[in-house]
Amino acid sequence: MNGIPLVVYAIAAGAYGVFFATGRAAVGRLASAVLAAGALAHTFLIGMQTMAIGHAPIADTTSAISTFVWLLALAYLYTEMTTEERAMGVFIVPLLVALQVIPAIRPGLERRAPILESPWFALHVSSLLFAYASFALACVIGITYVLLFKEIKAKHLGFFYKRLPSLQRLDAMNVRAVTIGWIFLTIGVGVGVIWTAQARADAVLDPRLRAMSILDPKIAVAVLSWAIYSFQLYARRAIGWSGRRAAWLSTVGFAIVLVNFVAVGYFLTKSHNF
Amino acid sequence: MHLLLVGVSHRTAPIELRERIDFSTRGVDAAVAALAGRPTNSEAAVLSTCNRAEIYLAAPDPDTAREDVIAFLCEFHGVEASEVAPHLYEKQDGEAARHLFRVAAGLDSLVVGEPQILGQVKDAYSVASAQQSVGPLLNKLFHASFLAGKRVRSETSLGEGAVSVSYAAVSLARKIFGTLTQRTVVVVGAGEMGKLTALHLKAQGIRRMLIASRTMSHAMALAETIEATAVPWEQLSAALGEADIVITATGANLPILVRADVTAIMKPRRNRPLFIIDIAVPRDVDPAAGELDQVFLYNIDDLQAIVQENLTRRAAEMTRADRIVGEEVDRFAAWLRSRGAIPTVVALRQRFETIRRAELERLQHKLAGLPLEAQKRVDEVTRLIVEKLLLTPTEQMKALPDTETMAAYSDALTRLFSLTSDNGGPAPRDSNPAEAGSGAGQPDPAEAGSRAPHGGPEQASDANGAKSG
Repeated sequence: MNGIPLVVYAIAAGAYGVFFATGRAAVGRLASAVLAAGALAHTFLIGMQTMAIGHAPIADTTSAISTFVWLLALAYLYTEMTTEERAMGVFIVPLLVALQVIPAIRPGLERRAPILESPWFALHVSSLLFAYASFALACVIGITYVLLFKEIKAKHLGFFYKRLPSLQRLDAMNVRAVTIGWIFLTIGVGVGVIWTAQARADAVLDPRLRAMSILDPKIAVAVLSWAIYSFQLYARRAIGWSGRRAAWLSTVGFAIVLVNFVAVGYFLTKSHNF
Repeated sequence: MHLLLVGVSHRTAPIELRERIDFSTRGVDAAVAALAGRPTNSEAAVLSTCNRAEIYLAAPDPDTAREDVIAFLCEFHGVEASEVAPHLYEKQDGEAARHLFRVAAGLDSLVVGEPQILGQVKDAYSVASAQQSVGPLLNKLFHASFLAGKRVRSETSLGEGAVSVSYAAVSLARKIFGTLTQRTVVVVGAGEMGKLTALHLKAQGIRRMLIASRTMSHAMALAETIEATAVPWEQLSAALGEADIVITATGANLPILVRADVTAIMKPRRNRPLFIIDIAVPRDVDPAAGELDQVFLYNIDDLQAIVQENLTRRAAEMTRADRIVGEEVDRFAAWLRSRGAIPTVVALRQRFETIRRAELERLQHKLAGLPLEAQKRVDEVTRLIVEKLLLTPTEQMKALPDTETMAAYSDALTRLFSLTSDNGGPAPRDSNPAEAGSGAGQPDPAEAGSRAPHGGPEQASDANGAKSG
């Protein structure tokens, strides 16, 4: 079932590529329309899954990835609508396609463990997925910032110069995305701590809950990414680290988030495999 | 009916003459009204910009219309024909259309690809429309020119990229800082070049502009003309500390800003980017300063290279733009040619209809015995036969590839069916409902319109055309 949005996203990715290469406004509108159609199909899919299992499909890593892709598509479409900038799509939509491959080939829709039937858990996961979507946007904005910066600095005004908004605007978009992401990351981690404390009281012997500590890779890396984004926001105010340095930080931050979300989530964590 | 263009532009006439025959001084609408009143044309429009004055006409006889329109030009503006004549250009039909399409696309402009001209062409059309001086030919022509202009705009990058040094600097500044209103500009040196760039930036809404020159009085004089603030030379480094954009244009022989100076400026700025535009020759800013993080240093050669690149790209795009214009001209010319067939086709249909009616009348006494229903059926069937017989020849006539062939075919048809005016003439125009019905079956709305018994104001001209054709 996850294959349907995957295919539509892939078509949208192609259209964004053509738009970026040719700069034709009509192709850009088509790309947005296809992406919106993909997100709509994805919405129905997630709605159906929610009805089938009685809760949002966020309890296992595979469904969480699908939900993350959906959120990122919506967040990107929102950014596009509010800023009238489509040049970022060529970076974002391929990421959607790459991530959506995982749920498409690995149907992992299971009922959640009873231990997860807590509103705290739902809030924990949805906050984090939303934070990750914001960070993904910030990362792509950061990459385009660096590309444009290099072109202007090297005096070779070409591809990106013609297609991207101004450096100042990219910087502002980056800090907005990071700020939103940081707020949700903070909420998500905080709620996780509260939920762990509550769940431990109910199920003392669960090995996963016993592994919930700062030493668990999933938690350690999450805290690391929180530290990086906190530093980015702090450095911007305190020592003027805006522009290119902020762009790099948000790129590194999202690389860590992605590793944590996919690689650590599937293979390394002992605490977060429900 | 022919399309005729008579005009002057920046390519053919000096500014003194263009000023004298500028229609906008007395009002384009008055000119259009005066033109439309002359009997040599049936439709008229006037395109008047600071670079051109052009008259577009639909005229049955282009030669007399040309004579007449030149006379009109001289009368209207009070100039001698001998003064204007050497600067006038005159084009007909497809070539006139090509000219207007190229104008609308910005291909004939002083700065190729400039965007205002399409709006001016639209204005010319709406003025003529308001004066009710346009008919089917100019309607079609102008709408086709809007389409050609739009296509060139969206399918080529003809209008993209700065084509002057000052504008290249402005567009770079916008790419770095976004909106420029809140930015501070420091101009170092009070020369002409610095002034020009400063004015371009000012046009972007810059509020705070500081000017420093070794001679304070020069700085103050320039500051007054462009509404900026002069600062004493000694306070230059303090001013630079505030700047987002620095324009250097002094006549100094040695750099006034070396790398160490710029490093010192950058330190308290906390990474805020600095855009230095060095348009002085010899250079005012040590190129090594451009290596600093967050410093964008462009000198006059860099900017000229950008301009050159954009000009080259525009020139390359002109070929593509002309190809698009060519496609639109072909389409328009085909439409125009198909209109040339109309008089003959109309005459042919009228001839057939006359014969049909005559035959029906002759058989009237035999048909009278039939029930009313059957009589109607006979009428219907004969009409359909005539329709079907004429369908293919009509289509073939309209699709003929050139006017000579069309004239030959018209001639042949006229002889074969004796389509002289007393034969196919005004008789069937006696607003017969059956006649109108047969016209409605036509694929071409223009022709259907021109044949409708109660057509628009252009009806008269088409009736004339039918007679002469």
